[in-house]
Amino acid sequence: MKNTLTAVVMAPMLMLAAVNAGADITFDTQVDYEMSGFFNDKARSSPIQAGIDQRINNSVSLELEVFSAWDGGDQSISFKPFYRQDEMDEERSHGDIRELLWNKLSDEYELKVGLGKVFWGVTESAHLVDIINQTDSVEGIDGEQKLGQPMVQVLLEREWGNLDLFVLPYFRERTSAGSDARLSAGLDYADAIYESSDEESNVDVAARWSHYWEELEYAVSVFHGTSRDPLIGGYLDATGPAVQAYYPVISQVGVELQFLDEGWAWKFEGIVRDGMPEDVYYGLDLSGVRAGLNLDIVEADHYFATAAGFEYTQVGIWETRIDLGWVAEHIYDSRQEKAGFGAFEHDVLLATRWAANDDADSTLLAGVVYDYEYQDYSVSLEGNTRLFDGLSLAIEARVFAPSSDNVSQYAFRDEDFVKLTLSYYL
Amino acid sequence: MKKIITSAFLVLMAVSSWGQTPEEKGLAIAIEGDKRSEGYGDSKVKLKMILADKKGRESSRDMRVKGLEGKGGEGDKSLMIFDTPKDQKGVAMLTFTHKVKSDDQWLFLPALKRVKKISSRNKSGPFVGSEFAFEDISSQEVEKYTYKYLRDEMLNGLDCFVVENTPTDKYSGYTKQIVWIDKAEYRSIKIEFYDRKKSLLKTLVNEDYKQYLGKFWRPNLMSMTNHQTGKSTRLVYEDYSFNVGLKVKEFTKNSLKRAR
Repeated sequence: MKNTLTAVVMAPMLMLAAVNAGADITFDTQVDYEMSGFFNDKARSSPIQAGIDQRINNSVSLELEVFSAWDGGDQSISFKPFYRQDEMDEERSHGDIRELLWNKLSDEYELKVGLGKVFWGVTESAHLVDIINQTDSVEGIDGEQKLGQPMVQVLLEREWGNLDLFVLPYFRERTSAGSDARLSAGLDYADAIYESSDEESNVDVAARWSHYWEELEYAVSVFHGTSRDPLIGGYLDATGPAVQAYYPVISQVGVELQFLDEGWAWKFEGIVRDGMPEDVYYGLDLSGVRAGLNLDIVEADHYFATAAGFEYTQVGIWETRIDLGWVAEHIYDSRQEKAGFGAFEHDVLLATRWAANDDADSTLLAGVVYDYEYQDYSVSLEGNTRLFDGLSLAIEARVFAPSSDNVSQYAFRDEDFVKLTLSYYL
Repeated sequence: MKKIITSAFLVLMAVSSWGQTPEEKGLAIAIEGDKRSEGYGDSKVKLKMILADKKGRESSRDMRVKGLEGKGGEGDKSLMIFDTPKDQKGVAMLTFTHKVKSDDQWLFLPALKRVKKISSRNKSGPFVGSEFAFEDISSQEVEKYTYKYLRDEMLNGLDCFVVENTPTDKYSGYTKQIVWIDKAEYRSIKIEFYDRKKSLLKTLVNEDYKQYLGKFWRPNLMSMTNHQTGKSTRLVYEDYSFNVGLKVKEFTKNSLKRAR
């Protein structure tokens, strides 16, 4: 394993060196130290999670960035390996190549080949449209950390807008915490099952057209291929409860809109997705233990999901330098209670964003996501500041307050946490 | 005949300039200043921003700015790339200046690979924690102010026009700016900024002007002092170059993602 990792890391570096003998190569390094404190709510602990009583977790991660350009800047290679070592969770101790991209620019098009990351979307509460990259979910609960995606991307910039075309030849499975670790809901994951007979090698395709007119920005995207969101089926095996991810083949159309009107930013994103089953069940024998690879799929019609709302920003409140933003968004999923684990069926986000506009670029985002049908909510706080050039401090805190045991958030009821991250830039 | 018309025209010109109102004279100075900065094509410069608080404690930011001159009725385009603080490396900001309507501005956040449009409402806000507001660093188009010539005055040994500029945009953080422009080269030497309550907020002093391509004057040092907080910000420019052959494709929303 170690040798493989070394080879994976060294090969592109050597390639870079070979291609670029004589060209400038820049190196950047970011080292993060992260300490999380968890708060158990013992009274409601389930037998599954009773064993997880760890209060403090330490973790360190390293991200390198190597970059070189030549051909008058029209060609470049970027390489971003990432590695995390986690004190407790083996699943969270993981490496990834976040980016290894060859970028070629011409007057007619821009071409990218390799592993890369692409973000689509405008809303804060949910990233529905964003589908190119798989979520590196052990990195954070907000779904914003992504795994490098193998891709060939062609971009056309024209009078009528930007058209991005993607061929995605390989699929990355979503990462998940080990059952003995935090934010795992106490579940162990077996190897994933795919709808596509090519499994991870199914070739996915995607396209996005985006443009703007005055203060309105808009985009339409399409995707066909293996869903980044799995369906999770549960069963018992010899060692206890286990789950298995099933990745169906889906088609999705996405729309993004953003309209800026003075202090207001109006946002909408929505998807229509076809091919996502309602549920999966695994065949069990009489004792409730999983029997073979049987899989029952409950097919479903297409569904849609939307996130819409606004952010209103007051510049320089109370005659200070501080900007205060108010965020309100509504998230809806037409599947309602049949929406999978982690989906927002009918939720509202209310948040306030503070920007100190100081020399340390300090910001604070505090919000609550409220499910108005189940009355459960979660509260989050994210802050950031720079201690000095090269060292930054971030804080993240979340409290989960499910109203009953039949909502998806229930799995996280004992996972309230505060996380401090020190980031050192070399 | 032609001669008579020409002389009549000259007389008329002289009379009209004689009878010029302070507003007309102020506008004429602004137009002349703008004309003298025309034709730079494109430019590249490195700059260091030094922020100092009341006690003199300093922190700094390094950035590079690429500019593309607007053609015809279009305003200038600019791309600013941050190199430090290190956690901000790769952050880039693209601005399309417009003569009449609000500027378009986008920010690229490299960690998320996200391009965000910045609201024009923000123009009075501080630019990256400095004493410069967004509107102070954006390209100065003639149409963004109304003008009033006040007087002639000597400043640092330079014979200057003193002009009062009133922003036309209701979201400007200023009620007026008093600008000292040297008569010989039409360079802005000093600007006083008055806040919404009409009291003196900041003073900008442009120093160490150098001429490039035998035509374009640029200050190597811009110092902004906030009189109400005692904080100041210096912009130190180096390695100016003009007509380097920058292309329009380097100033697009998408180009933000590859800005280095």
